[in-house]
Amino acid sequence: MKTFFAALWAEILKARRSKMLLGTAVGFMILPLAGGLFMLILKDPAQARELGIINAKAQITAMTADWPSFLGMMAMGIGGLGEILFAFITAWVFGREFSDRTVKEWLALPTPRAAVVSAKFVVITIWTLALTLLVFLVGLGIGSMIGIPGGSFVLAWNTFWTVMLTVLLINMLMPVAAFLASLGRGYLLPLAWTILALGLANLVSILGWGDWFPWGVPVLVSGMVKPNADHLGLHSYLMVLLTCVVGLAGTFMWWRSADQTR
Amino acid sequence: MNYAIETNGLSKSYGPVHAVNSVDLRVKPGEIYAFIGLNGAGKTTTIRALLGMIRPSAGSVKVLGQTVGPYGRGPWQRVGHLVESPAAYPELTVRENLEIARRLHGIVDKEASSRVIERMTLASYADRKAGTLSTGNFQRLGLARALLHEPELLILDEPANGLDPAGVVEIRELLVGLTCEKGVTVFMSSHILTEVDRLATRIGIIHQGRLIEELEATQLEEIRAQRLEVKACDLEAAQSALARAGFAAKIGEGRITLNEASAIEAPDKIAAILVQAGTPPTRLAVEQENLEDHFLRLTGEKL
Repeated sequence: MKTFFAALWAEILKARRSKMLLGTAVGFMILPLAGGLFMLILKDPAQARELGIINAKAQITAMTADWPSFLGMMAMGIGGLGEILFAFITAWVFGREFSDRTVKEWLALPTPRAAVVSAKFVVITIWTLALTLLVFLVGLGIGSMIGIPGGSFVLAWNTFWTVMLTVLLINMLMPVAAFLASLGRGYLLPLAWTILALGLANLVSILGWGDWFPWGVPVLVSGMVKPNADHLGLHSYLMVLLTCVVGLAGTFMWWRSADQTR
Repeated sequence: MNYAIETNGLSKSYGPVHAVNSVDLRVKPGEIYAFIGLNGAGKTTTIRALLGMIRPSAGSVKVLGQTVGPYGRGPWQRVGHLVESPAAYPELTVRENLEIARRLHGIVDKEASSRVIERMTLASYADRKAGTLSTGNFQRLGLARALLHEPELLILDEPANGLDPAGVVEIRELLVGLTCEKGVTVFMSSHILTEVDRLATRIGIIHQGRLIEELEATQLEEIRAQRLEVKACDLEAAQSALARAGFAAKIGEGRITLNEASAIEAPDKIAAILVQAGTPPTRLAVEQENLEDHFLRLTGEKL
């Protein structure tokens, strides 16, 4: 455990000193800010039109300015943006070792390589959870400030757990991004795959098979593709679990056995 | 005998390319072993195999008596290394980079980083981000990390890369000091053959993946080729006179060169022949090839 905590300390220090920490927080903060703006507009669409904030053809007016809409929008945003943003974080945590050529400094050490990989996954989990909590709390603050109606503790509590389940499922997909960052020795492969997977997730969800596609499951749980959300079942979670296991096994095996020539 | 490094038939292939081919290395404790070769000869691949960073296609590697790999297993607590160019996290300071290494090596002594910073004369850069360091100081940081845990064995790939002349001398003295005072074994690759000549107690020459020669520094003195170099006002007349006396003299770069042992062992005889022919020598010297000449001759890069 001592070696694991040494590796964890190193990973936390690297994350704290990086610009990525602030960058991802700012990037994720778009969700409550955009949600708040929508609510503000919906409270008085006529004034928003007069001020030129929206034009006459804006679809936004189909929604209502209340807490269920606002929190629903937040949960869906976390599901969609989270898949991309968390993959960025994972690609950075693993891929930077190759782009900075520091990977060779981790290989011939008394600290086992498995401890290094575990520490990286723990940091990714802490990082993504912290971002989610921050965004959710800021969202609640913005909603309260705007004074949208229809709020209740039960609604906030239920949305919180939907968000937590979504984030857990997204985190379970991250080992695949970590494996691709290791295999591709950089950022490009995991990011390319994530964008492709998200596109495929939307496509298969629209076709009605999203509950079978691991990258589609968090999106469905978050409520992004509502018509098919009912199809979610044990098989959906098992698909995500299987993806997680394959990603973890691939990443650990790769770090243990692959030739490191950088 | 217990060797600090021992490889048996070490080979590494990438598809049809044999990067390292049946290399048998024996490095004794306390030696400074210089591993030299042209670019792509297999030096770095060998070093990576010694450190368990790549898996050999064939053969075995033992470091400090322990078999290396699979899965990164090895006596890394007792080994310091610098592979290819040094690497560090650019947004972290020199001290933070070394603190990471200290913790990963399980060193309890919190002063270890400060000590190695002093030793590598990095004190004035300790709180500077690694990304802003000059090439030379970045190299010092890499060396500091290799020395941080006071290892028994140092495996260094081009340790003098990027250092200024004073830095090169400093590292040479540091390595000699570690070997003499603490019995540290040094296995290093280098392109700076004059440094190798001064520093190494044993030299291994790798060419096209094969270890083609291994020799003690004292042996090098004995096997270096010698030649007699002659300068005269009229080189062609001098060459004719020597040819008449039965010597194969070659003219090149403004001098005559004689490679025969009979000429090298009796320069007075050559001088007499030239004086009698009316073309007295203006310079007559027995020259010995240096490591660079020997290396280039051996690898076929210079005939």
